[in-house]
Amino acid sequence: MGNMREIRDRIKSINDIMKITNAMYLISSSKLKKAKKDLAATQPYFNKLLYAMRSILSRAPEDIDMRYFDQREEIKPEDRKVGYIVITADKGMCGSYNHNIIKLTEQKMAAHKQSHLYVMGQVGRMYFQRRARAGELDVDTEFIYTTQNPTLYRSRRIAEQMLKAFDEGKLDDVYIIYTDMVSSIAFEPKILQLLPLDAEHFVQSKGEITKHHEAVFSPSPNIVMEHLTPNFMKGMIYGAMVDSFCSEQQARMSAMDSATTSAKDMLQDLSLQYNRARQAAITQEITEIVSGANSAEL
Amino acid sequence: MANTFQLEILASDRPFYVGAAEQLVFPTVDGLMGILPGHESMVTIVSPGELKYLVDGEWHYAAISEGFAEVRRDYVLVLGDAIELPEEIDAKRAAEAAERAKERLLHKQSIMQYYHSQAALNRAMNRLKISKRHNHEI
Repeated sequence: MGNMREIRDRIKSINDIMKITNAMYLISSSKLKKAKKDLAATQPYFNKLLYAMRSILSRAPEDIDMRYFDQREEIKPEDRKVGYIVITADKGMCGSYNHNIIKLTEQKMAAHKQSHLYVMGQVGRMYFQRRARAGELDVDTEFIYTTQNPTLYRSRRIAEQMLKAFDEGKLDDVYIIYTDMVSSIAFEPKILQLLPLDAEHFVQSKGEITKHHEAVFSPSPNIVMEHLTPNFMKGMIYGAMVDSFCSEQQARMSAMDSATTSAKDMLQDLSLQYNRARQAAITQEITEIVSGANSAEL
Repeated sequence: MANTFQLEILASDRPFYVGAAEQLVFPTVDGLMGILPGHESMVTIVSPGELKYLVDGEWHYAAISEGFAEVRRDYVLVLGDAIELPEEIDAKRAAEAAERAKERLLHKQSIMQYYHSQAALNRAMNRLKISKRHNHEI
């Protein structure tokens, strides 16, 4: 009889877990839908922004302020202070999503002596701060942002902070490490250079460099550039944030989906076992009764 | 017709207006700037304020926060962080935001925070102004 109760308990606990995984699956799928819609709504804005940067670069006078384009080549590669913005999830339960990002970050960090980490998301922050306490890493502890529901406001703050650090010479290169959704089933960790800006970034083909007629910059080219750069950074960071968020939800969706499926498989096996055990118990009882009755007749 | 130009107004969260327009007026750092068809090529910054454009003889108004504009002879592109119609503005929310920003300005804070509060106050006041001005007329 003990066996039957054990199986019943397991069936119950699997049922409870399945309810959770199924709920998480539904939540991620609705979040994913919303995030995709948001991304589609902002797409025209950033396409135009990119286009405008490109057209301004091609029409700008020669003496324009290019301090965000300064590659700082005088600094040797091993002395460069490199900042990484790392986007992870706020919680686990999403397959290899966090693991991939952390692995890529560690790979990239190994190439430089001075790496500064700006980690978004609880999972990554926990992981890197544990290593930072051991004195191996430099993690900005003030940099606390969630990766849930990316907003432009948040990316503006981050862009400001990065530009300031770049201006003050605290950072020479800034990269963002995020997860790119290649298709609706495949995603992979990616690294993208934010600063210094690269003029070639904006030019897709050589033909586009040809100078248009000069345009007037009001009030002055420098002020316009100074205004556009943070805007552009903000757009890039926002794009990466939304992309990561979509991938995270997608990863969680598929992880939870397979969890639910295997829970169902287990339930099927267990209920078969349970029925067999019940059948065996009944058969045994009948045998006992029959043999009891037989002996009473004698 | 030659007296219109292609106007594209894009907010960061949605395309706001795409189509032909006869005139456009928007705020810049040096004051209001009006654009007619055939304007010289120009790139400029848009500061928070009221934007209006003339389509078929009728003025349309909108509140715009920071952004920038690119002007060409027959094409104008306006990009803004947030662009809203007067009737979309939640006056109560804007008033609360203004209150909050004013309160924050009173505290001692870093220069960065000061600028943030000031910018927030600016945005809120601008929304309030535009929603007041236009929702009265209805």
